Amino acid sequence: MSDSLRTSASGMIAQQKRVDVIANNLANVNTTGFKRSRTNFEDLLYNTIQGPRRVAGDAILGPIQIGHGVRLSSISRVEGQGGVEITGRPLDLGIEGEGFFQVELPDGTIAYTRDGAFTLSESGQLVTGAGHTVIPGVVLPPDASSVTITETGVVSVGTGTEGQTVEVGRLELVRFANPTGLLALGGNLMAETVASGPPAAGFPQEEGFGRVLQGTLESSNVEIVQEMTDMIAAQRAYEINARAIRAAEDMMRSIDDLIR
Amino acid sequence: MTVPAFVVAARTMAYLTQRQEVIANNLANANTDGFKADRITGRSFDELFPEALASLDLKQGAVRDTGRTLDVALETDGFLVVSTARGDRLIRGGGLTMDAAGLLVDQDGNPVMGLEGALHIRGARVEIEPDGTVVVDGARAGKLKVVQVANPATLVKEGVGRFIATEGTIAPADVRMRQGALEDANVDPMTGTVDMIQIQRAYSTNAEVLRVLDSVLGTLTSDIGRV
Repeated sequence: MSDSLRTSASGMIAQQKRVDVIANNLANVNTTGFKRSRTNFEDLLYNTIQGPRRVAGDAILGPIQIGHGVRLSSISRVEGQGGVEITGRPLDLGIEGEGFFQVELPDGTIAYTRDGAFTLSESGQLVTGAGHTVIPGVVLPPDASSVTITETGVVSVGTGTEGQTVEVGRLELVRFANPTGLLALGGNLMAETVASGPPAAGFPQEEGFGRVLQGTLESSNVEIVQEMTDMIAAQRAYEINARAIRAAEDMMRSIDDLIR
Repeated sequence: MTVPAFVVAARTMAYLTQRQEVIANNLANANTDGFKADRITGRSFDELFPEALASLDLKQGAVRDTGRTLDVALETDGFLVVSTARGDRLIRGGGLTMDAAGLLVDQDGNPVMGLEGALHIRGARVEIEPDGTVVVDGARAGKLKVVQVANPATLVKEGVGRFIATEGTIAPADVRMRQGALEDANVDPMTGTVDMIQIQRAYSTNAEVLRVLDSVLGTLTSDIGRV
């Protein structure tokens, strides 16, 4: 009976973890390029009281096994497209479809992001909001009066007053066989892991890569209605496990009452 | 006469405890993807006390879309096969991933078997067709192996979503799977809660029977003996 208490307690702990993840999703409902996470659970080991056995007439009786509850097996990111939000700012680049921008961190390693709220450094270099250089590097000349980025990632600037445009670079995207395997570093950045596989680079709108939309940002793919529904489900599941603990406790009390 | 009644009540309570434990485990796993509920039912033994009979409920759980590339849900009877250190094990699909060598693996890193061995899925785009064919960047990488068991009673749960086929497997009659989807547990929390309440009541009734028997025996031994 005390096994049953632990089993139900594991169910309550699992639901608590689920609520933690939902809370983080909800907190990031307005974070650019944020991808919601979800919890994955697995059953714990079983105590096999009796294995499968053959009885008369070649019938087989199933094994009697008692499980010991549940645990969190992983938390995975859901790589669904977020909404495209029009900002009108020329250096806001939303990706519609597959792909990540590459940025160089101060220690020289490469990180990946779908948050395309870029800006310019002092030297005219295209950088992220946090100041990390976008790879491959794009430098806008000081006399640039306007910047145009096509859906295929070609960056051109208008110079002077003659209305001439000059191509200054082309943005690249990368993708991964298993993007959910990327490690979230915070600050909307991701790092490559063995689970994600190595990055495969390419240009926007080629080989299945998404397109780059200038003047837009990709909003978070968290849907409040979905999270709220999940939260209600988690709460109910928590209560049912608590109910199971009460039932087990009540049964234990029946035994206690026998000894007076 | 009273002594067998003691045994009957005690054995019935042991059976009810087992049922309660199994239901608690089902309820704890109500959100475990691909989980299959256990059932314990009583079979009357000499019409005195119930003997526990277990069965695995292999009913299909609801399939929900997740949008994650390596989530796979089976929509027909059967199992995918993973190769573990202790031999082949069966799983009902789930959130698969890729290991360092580029192999398709389960959450615990066990390779998922194709018809021709483990599947290499390194590439930019992985597609899993309803019949289990795995296509990586437009090229066929293999086909997921799906098996069935002749009798569900021969399945033993290993935990962490894996099953052991104790008497071998057979080819499935029909295979249909969905990429980007997961199968919910087939636990019905409502039925579980109702069963639990009934078990609780039956248990306290049996405990009451024990108490009455105890007081009858007490009377027999102390009062009658005194006359």
